[in-house]
Amino acid sequence: MPTRQKFDHELEELRVNILEMGNLVNQQIALAVSSLINQNLELANSIVVKDLDLNDLQAIIEEKCILLIATQQPFARDLRKLVAGFKISIYLERMGDLSVDLAKVTIRIGQDELIKPLVDIPRMSALVQEMINIGLKAYVDEDCGAAAEMALMDDEIDKIYSGVFGELRTIMMEDPNKVTQANYLLFASRFLERLGDYCTNIAEEIVYICNGKRMDLNE
Amino acid sequence: MKAHQADRFATIMLWIGSLAIVAILIAFLTLILGRGLPHLTSEFFNGPDGVRGQLFNSFYILFLSLVLSLPVGLGAGIYMAEYAPKNKFTDLIRLSTESLASVPSIVFGLFGMIVFVNMFGLGFTILGGSATLALLNLPILVRVTEESLRAVPRSYREASLALGATMWQTLRKVILPTALPGLITGITLVAGRALGETAILIFTAGMNVSRIPFDVNPLAAGETLAVHLFAVKSNPLPGTNADQIADGTAALLIIMVIVFNICLTLPSRWLQRRQLGRNKV
Amino acid sequence: MDKIVVNKLDLFYGDQQALNNIGIAMKERSVTALIGPSGCGKSTFLRTLNRMQDLIPSVKIMGQVKIDGQDIYAAGTDVVLLRKKVGMVFQNPNPFPKSVFENVAYGPRIHGETDKKKLSEIVETSLKDAALWNEVKDRLHESALGLSGGQQQRLCIARLLAVGPEILLMDEPTSALDPISTMKIEELISELKDKYTIIIVTHNMHQASRVSDRTAFFLSGDLIEEDVTSVLFTRPAKKKTEDYISGRFG
Ligand SMILES: Nc1ncnc2c1ncn2[C@@H]1O[C@H](COP(=O)(O)OP(=O)(O)O)[C@@H](O)[C@H]1O
Ligand SMILES: [Mg+2]
Repeated sequence: MPTRQKFDHELEELRVNILEMGNLVNQQIALAVSSLINQNLELANSIVVKDLDLNDLQAIIEEKCILLIATQQPFARDLRKLVAGFKISIYLERMGDLSVDLAKVTIRIGQDELIKPLVDIPRMSALVQEMINIGLKAYVDEDCGAAAEMALMDDEIDKIYSGVFGELRTIMMEDPNKVTQANYLLFASRFLERLGDYCTNIAEEIVYICNGKRMDLNE
Repeated sequence: MKAHQADRFATIMLWIGSLAIVAILIAFLTLILGRGLPHLTSEFFNGPDGVRGQLFNSFYILFLSLVLSLPVGLGAGIYMAEYAPKNKFTDLIRLSTESLASVPSIVFGLFGMIVFVNMFGLGFTILGGSATLALLNLPILVRVTEESLRAVPRSYREASLALGATMWQTLRKVILPTALPGLITGITLVAGRALGETAILIFTAGMNVSRIPFDVNPLAAGETLAVHLFAVKSNPLPGTNADQIADGTAALLIIMVIVFNICLTLPSRWLQRRQLGRNKV
Repeated sequence: MDKIVVNKLDLFYGDQQALNNIGIAMKERSVTALIGPSGCGKSTFLRTLNRMQDLIPSVKIMGQVKIDGQDIYAAGTDVVLLRKKVGMVFQNPNPFPKSVFENVAYGPRIHGETDKKKLSEIVETSLKDAALWNEVKDRLHESALGLSGGQQQRLCIARLLAVGPEILLMDEPTSALDPISTMKIEELISELKDKYTIIIVTHNMHQASRVSDRTAFFLSGDLIEEDVTSVLFTRPAKKKTEDYISGRFG
């Protein structure tokens, strides 16, 4: 195969790997939140195990990026794709870790009765997942408009997070017995908020692939 | 394996070829020198039938012909190689020199006789002989010069011009020194021809020797060694030992050519080495 | 300060146009790299800057090339002085078949320097500036042809520096060299940049990205794009540039 075609082929493979990783992360988040709502410990444990796959995938992507940079010495968009792909894989790997953290909240809470019905956490999770979906599509299409719009959704998550923060603080002040679980839930929502931030980071990388500009979308 | 054998075979053939050349040269030298050297006595040069005059004439004619042909030949060659634009006219010049180079020397001789001996009414003269010889050698000189100069890499010219040298400086300081070995070979070739030439000189310089020793009068007739050899052998004078004189002359001719070659080659080597610096590559 | 300003430059070989309306400016003491596929006119353009190209009889040149504000194609330009100021290094190292010393002394000599002591000084500083002195100081009077390819190329640079140029034109100076020699020349370029305005043609885009401040991309006689090197190689503005530096053609 001519060098350039081979390179294009390898870039395509890299993209497939990143998509695969993104879908897996999305699934991990969904399952983690579901385990939390349903207090399903078995599910939570499976998430922790599944995270190893994500780590492996990230290692593969990282290896590929390094190899392609070394052998192809790419310029321009190729270079940007590799650098951005590399960073996206790192963000996705951290997002995987955050879903494990979410699953661990499920495990900590165990079978204790929930101190309140979980409304905001599923809302945040839905937003994060939507961001990931839009982001992955924007990544495939190299559509920086879509990516920038996706980043705006993070504001919504932040808003919900501050609402949850206030609510849980009130609960903690009213009833010291609920402090432990309220803390866990506070962590959970904090993790979801962080997931939103990573999504905006990914959006920034997509913009960088498109036009080579570094933009702070995390406002 | 076939290729390997073919390679072996070719190497051996080439080797035999080169060996043959050396063998022929040695045979040639031993025969001619062997027969001729013993006759090279003082008597042979200075005696009543001595060849001192012919020996002198040979070099004198060689010298004059070079004086006449070198400036024109080198100049034209340099012009053709460096300055001449490439067009129909220069192609014509090139074609003419090529054709002239292959004209038989006897035809030049005839031409020289018509022009110098008859038209100018000079009779047989050293000058006429030298001039005709110069004409014979001119095309070769032009060609050799042009080729030697063209063999100098273009990159030398570019480097020199890019440093701000003029064309003339480039020619003098880079191109000519680099082309020197080629030029020397050309001159040696031409000189060898001049020393050995008979046909032309019989028609233009005649077969007589001035009675005055070392006569530099260019309008005197002047028989050279080669012509003398021809004359002695083809038309032996009664009462002289023609065969001995012929053998001696032949040996003397060969020695002359060898000495002349060495005289040209050694200084040019030395000049080159000085040019190149130590450790010539 | 702009050292070289080229304006609406057209060049023809006979009827065939090899440069199209080129406009570019080069700053003093900077390195500009010219990249582009073979035959796009890089060498042709480079050689218009020291008027080596109009030695070719069929060449016609229109437009302006100003060096220090002077149009070098204006009537009355002294080409010898111009070439003294604008020196050139070629693709294949081309030292003269002379000694190392004589190679470097050649330029000063043709420009009239005869003082032996002065010549020695010039030779020494030029060789030092070309980072070659230590390697040849004991063999100054040996043939330059005995040096390695990389040393020969640095010798050619020294030979050039000896005439005191201000602008150095380099036409693929490392394409005939091994990686180590290439690296040495690149290091040399980054040192020379403090004193000279350098324009380098290179087929090696990574070399361009390493050594140059600005890069110009040529394609079939057109100047497609010219920009700060880091910008041109990470986010070129033109699709053609992108395709070329990504190896999609050429
Ligand atoms: N001396 C010449 N005569 C005619 N055409 C030439 C000459 N030199 C170069 N060209 C043509 O001009 C174009 C540009 O050549 P050049 O400047 O050598 O390209 P590059 O250096 O980018 O490879 C090519 O198409 C080439 O064929
Ligand atoms: Mg070129």
